[in-house]
Amino acid sequence: MENSRRHFLKSTCALVAGVSVYPLSRDQANADTGIRINNLKYAMLHDETKCIGCNACVEACREVNHVPEGVTRLSIEQSGPYGKYPNQYYHFSRHSCQHCEDAPCVNVCPTGAAFIDKENGIVSVNADKCVGCQYCILACPYDVRFINPVTKAADKCDFCRETNLKQDKQPACVEACPTKALVFGNLKDPESELVMLLKANPTQRTKLDLGTRPKLFRITAKQGEIIL
Amino acid sequence: MSRNNWLLMLSVGVLSFALMSQGANSADSTEQINNDSCMKCHKRNGAMQGHHAQEQLKMSCSSCHGEQGNHPKKPNDLMVFSVENDMTIDTKNGVCLKCHSPKKIAQAEWTHNVHAQKVSCTSCHKLHPESDPIMGLGAKDSSNVCRNCHTVQR
Repeated sequence: MENSRRHFLKSTCALVAGVSVYPLSRDQANADTGIRINNLKYAMLHDETKCIGCNACVEACREVNHVPEGVTRLSIEQSGPYGKYPNQYYHFSRHSCQHCEDAPCVNVCPTGAAFIDKENGIVSVNADKCVGCQYCILACPYDVRFINPVTKAADKCDFCRETNLKQDKQPACVEACPTKALVFGNLKDPESELVMLLKANPTQRTKLDLGTRPKLFRITAKQGEIIL
Repeated sequence: MSRNNWLLMLSVGVLSFALMSQGANSADSTEQINNDSCMKCHKRNGAMQGHHAQEQLKMSCSSCHGEQGNHPKKPNDLMVFSVENDMTIDTKNGVCLKCHSPKKIAQAEWTHNVHAQKVSCTSCHKLHPESDPIMGLGAKDSSNVCRNCHTVQR
């Protein structure tokens, strides 16, 4: 009698322990696959000290991604002139999708048209799913979304996910930049030019306080220029 | 009624005459500068068809290129705005800045500010042809102009 009671208690304890450990081990397994999937995370760096405001990036983007006139996926915002004639200069900063890790546009999208590509962290739009409600346009703190007049769907920079990246090329803006002010790369690759530059330079991201975790970095322009 | 018609015809006639005479005027507007004595030799490379040839501006070749002086003997004080010429950028641009104030050209195009002492006006602008090729460039062409100088090796 006593033996069977002890036996019962033992086996129950073992069962409880087994049940409680099982999900833990499953989490472990999941975490492993998670790491495998997330070893690619694209980001971009705009070196404002090198930017000359030529808008070659804007035009290249328009051409490659077939962005109609009147709207744009990226723009270069100009401020200035600073200083006195004839030694004047301007500042340029890139205005485009920041590819937030916690993207408000994705969170508000009722149809799932706005999504984050789990393979590479690119925030993108499935035009077929978009119903044009414009919630994402309102939600985006960076004000980079617009309704494409041709597809009538929300549109924005997707690091050329559908165009140049598929052909193993750099995004159109990066290819077009004459001064190499734009650098595109994988944040998870410590050998990439992007990560090297991020480590070597003080960089900034916009509206970090919102907790969106944006992935468009910038090296802010210093006053004047370096004369060698 | 017939009087009204007659008045209408008259006004149309007067208007068309006025237009024609104006047209004729604009056609001859470059005549003065191209009758300059310089044109006796510089027939081929001297013709001036651009904005600056307008009669109203009363410009002559010497307005920009300076007085004849020793020319055609060398050395002379004539100003030649080609790239090979060893005039300093400031001297070249000083000629244009006699009339075009930095403030006004900055309003027209921001790039004037940043290139003020680094690039000569004639690197981008051509005054002799009928229209300046740099004016009215599309977005793509104008960024290509920047690219010509600003490209770094990859």
